[in-house]
Amino acid sequence: MSGDRKGSAHRDRKPGERSHAPVHAFLILFTIVSVYPVLWVFTVAFSGKQSLAIVNLPPEPRAADRLRAITPWPDEPSPKNFVSVMREQPFGRWVFNSAVVSAATTLVGVVMACTAAYAFSRFKFPGRRTGLMMFLVSQMFPGVLTMIPLYIILVQWLELGSSWIALILMYATTAIPFCVWMLKGYFDTIPKELEESALMDGASTARIFFSIVLPLAKPAVAVTALFSFMTAWNEFILAATFMDKETMYTAPIGLRFFVGGFSQQWGYFAAGAIIVAIPVVVLFLFLQKYLVSGLTAGAVKG
Amino acid sequence: MNEKRTRSGEHAAAPPPLPAARSYRVAIAMLLAALVAVGVLHWVLVKRSASLTEARATRAAMISARAAADIATQLGGEGDALVAALRAWQKEHPAVHALRVANNENRSLEASTFPEDLKNGEIPRRMQRDEKPLYDLGQELRANLETNQSEGRKREEEVSIEQRRDGSLLIAAPIEKEGAVIGFAQVHAAPEVVAVEAPSLWFALAFALAPFVVVFALSFWAAPRGDRSFTWLVVVACVLLFVTLFAYRQWAMSTLEASSRSAEQRIAERVQREAAIVSRIAPGAERHANGWDGDQYRQPLKIDPKAAVAGEKSTVANASYGIGILSLALLLFVGTTAATRAKENLVENRQAYFFVLPAMLGMLVLVFFPFFYGVALSFTSQTIYSVNKPYGDIFVGIQNYKEILTDFGIIRHTDAGRAANYENFYWTLFFTIAWTIANVTIGVVLGLILALALNTKNLRFKGVYRVLLILPWALPNYITALIWKGMFHQQFGVFNQLIQLFGGSPIAWFEKPFTSFCAVVATNGWLSFPFMMVVSLGALQSIPADLYEAARVDGASPWQQFRSITLPSLKPALIPAVILSVVWTFNMFNIIYLVSAGEPAHSTEILITQAYKVAFEQYRYGYAAAYATIIFAILLIYGVFQNRVTRATESIAS
Repeated sequence: MSGDRKGSAHRDRKPGERSHAPVHAFLILFTIVSVYPVLWVFTVAFSGKQSLAIVNLPPEPRAADRLRAITPWPDEPSPKNFVSVMREQPFGRWVFNSAVVSAATTLVGVVMACTAAYAFSRFKFPGRRTGLMMFLVSQMFPGVLTMIPLYIILVQWLELGSSWIALILMYATTAIPFCVWMLKGYFDTIPKELEESALMDGASTARIFFSIVLPLAKPAVAVTALFSFMTAWNEFILAATFMDKETMYTAPIGLRFFVGGFSQQWGYFAAGAIIVAIPVVVLFLFLQKYLVSGLTAGAVKG
Repeated sequence: MNEKRTRSGEHAAAPPPLPAARSYRVAIAMLLAALVAVGVLHWVLVKRSASLTEARATRAAMISARAAADIATQLGGEGDALVAALRAWQKEHPAVHALRVANNENRSLEASTFPEDLKNGEIPRRMQRDEKPLYDLGQELRANLETNQSEGRKREEEVSIEQRRDGSLLIAAPIEKEGAVIGFAQVHAAPEVVAVEAPSLWFALAFALAPFVVVFALSFWAAPRGDRSFTWLVVVACVLLFVTLFAYRQWAMSTLEASSRSAEQRIAERVQREAAIVSRIAPGAERHANGWDGDQYRQPLKIDPKAAVAGEKSTVANASYGIGILSLALLLFVGTTAATRAKENLVENRQAYFFVLPAMLGMLVLVFFPFFYGVALSFTSQTIYSVNKPYGDIFVGIQNYKEILTDFGIIRHTDAGRAANYENFYWTLFFTIAWTIANVTIGVVLGLILALALNTKNLRFKGVYRVLLILPWALPNYITALIWKGMFHQQFGVFNQLIQLFGGSPIAWFEKPFTSFCAVVATNGWLSFPFMMVVSLGALQSIPADLYEAARVDGASPWQQFRSITLPSLKPALIPAVILSVVWTFNMFNIIYLVSAGEPAHSTEILITQAYKVAFEQYRYGYAAAYATIIFAILLIYGVFQNRVTRATESIAS
């Protein structure tokens, strides 16, 4: 539908249509606002120093100096921070931890969410509404409330503190409710007729699910996977609470380690943040359309 | 009269299948529920009396150790007289396996019947190298006593208690000379069991059987009759269940109280007997006898038997409520047709359940169980130090909730004047609401305006703007938080540089609640507007252009078009987005935790960061769980409320 409109619309401004200049000005202003912190990180990362000041101000700074101090461009650009954060700091190890945990979370989360969403979408069974509501309600549980018992159970009883498995399990179950709702919304849009005819031909439910429904739902599954991955990759507080050992830190905890408390290693932080954020930002920008449609579809359809 | 009506009603409607069987089922359910109720309560009581017994065993052994130490003190802590006296003393105490007196002044063992001491040579003698732990123990007790004396309160343990694997106790009490600790007397003793008797199991069984017999008899009466009789039967069963539980509770508690009282009596007698022995062996040492029945801080316990059981009573009473609810649920589940229906349903829909199982199991184990466990914890005084204690020991009822919800003291009056207590729940709640409203408003307004701007027809660079404006959403929010924390740095942060560029003076952002609030809201506003923008943009693009065309033909102004076309079309997308973002913002942990960290003085804490800090910085799990449960209740109320509102708006729209 949107393609039709684009095709019929004229590229040139029609006479009588208002100028776009104010709109551009407005958008440029906000673009600067939204991009500035990112540029700031790049500046600090490439400054080759640990300071969070962009330049060192002279004792009696003039307006020009002040302006320079907020211009996001490093004094002497250097990739030193990137090299040393990977070589001198255990950041590589932390990123590796994050990668393992996120990959496993994605696998576990997607498998569980797909099967559950399919059942909720296709079968009418007692407990269906309750089940769906449970997933929804669980989203309302304040993380802290479940975190205290989880901490007691996983760390103090099962002694799984500072282990991948504890994080993977917690992340997967954190991601499941959203994934289930989103996938269910998508499955609902797949016409049932296909499956009914397959059922006529004698295919089993499992076969229908794997060879008809899943291939059709690829985009939604991809988004679910991305969401699970990002949940794990970007999670901060659970990891901060459960991972005590420095070698088992995930990347987010590592980044906080650089600038938390009395530590002021902003150069390491910025370089690390760029390394950690680039993959998710790129993935996100590619897939955000699906994420939004899934979010709203899931929410609207209820 | 009533019965007639029921019967005629039954004729009109189809009779339910097997009305007789269901009446008997109520009787079976009654039996099960009563067994569970009384059984669990019985178990709790047995546990309680066991722990009471254990506590008293320690007390009895403590009396021995204190008496021995006082003998040693009386006799100057050294010499042959001491050895002789202790030998005589030990003869009177068959429960005492071994006894030693260590004198730190002389660095010697003055007397000992410990086999490991005797192996190393004749006693009395100087301590040897491998006996350093004994010397250290003496020094520790001395240091503890000195600390307590100088601080004027009992903070450090003055008696050391150690439990060996076989259950026997090693208790060391200090020996004093002219007010200073010169050593200790250590007693290795079997715990002297002063049993607190548990109520008998048979009696409990009888309690459980009684209501069953009644309901079973009644079920013969109800079986051939109609629905109303059945309902009555169920009601009677429920009432009987409660009566049984209550009666058993009262009876069991009186038993507990009686046996606890007699145990206290025996402890008192034990002290008197000890005093008699001591006065014979070392006259004068018995003058401290009143304090022998004491705790590790050498504070006399002198427990009033009534007070001793009061705590137990409330534990049992509280437990009985939970048990009552559980057993009632069991009664209704088994008694009505629920159980059989559940089984049939499971078989019929096994495929669906099979597909749901993995996710459900994961959720149950890692989300729902912890959730309910968390709610259960909220009724306890659980801390990091008591995680292995039985639930009954730490149960405090609704005390945590009371403490949180009834404290209205936002303003505290101190000597220095009035000061705000930002850790107060109501302040945090107010702050959280202000935070949520501010952020969602900013998000919606900015998002909508930007979406409208981006939706301008034939706008150039639309794609570029879009990508750059989405960037804040794409960035992981903890990174955003840390970046903004850096940018709000008082000395080097770019915001203060910007302010100074325009001639202002730098602001210490996190030293005043208001500026701190501005900082966190700015951070969160920055990362939350793209979501609203994208949602609005999607909805705007799905509005058919013909609508505007038609409106223009009808002569509608742009504002009218916006009011009657754009806004209504945005609503179905915006309402869920707003609902989502309210919950997200309400729970936006990372921004608060990482940017302001609650500074100054917890004034910018939102509810969940506050709960987190109580749990993982103060380690008060029980209190934090209660806090988090209250947060959940707030969210639940919000959820129900917004559900109503959206339903209402939907029905108006359709």
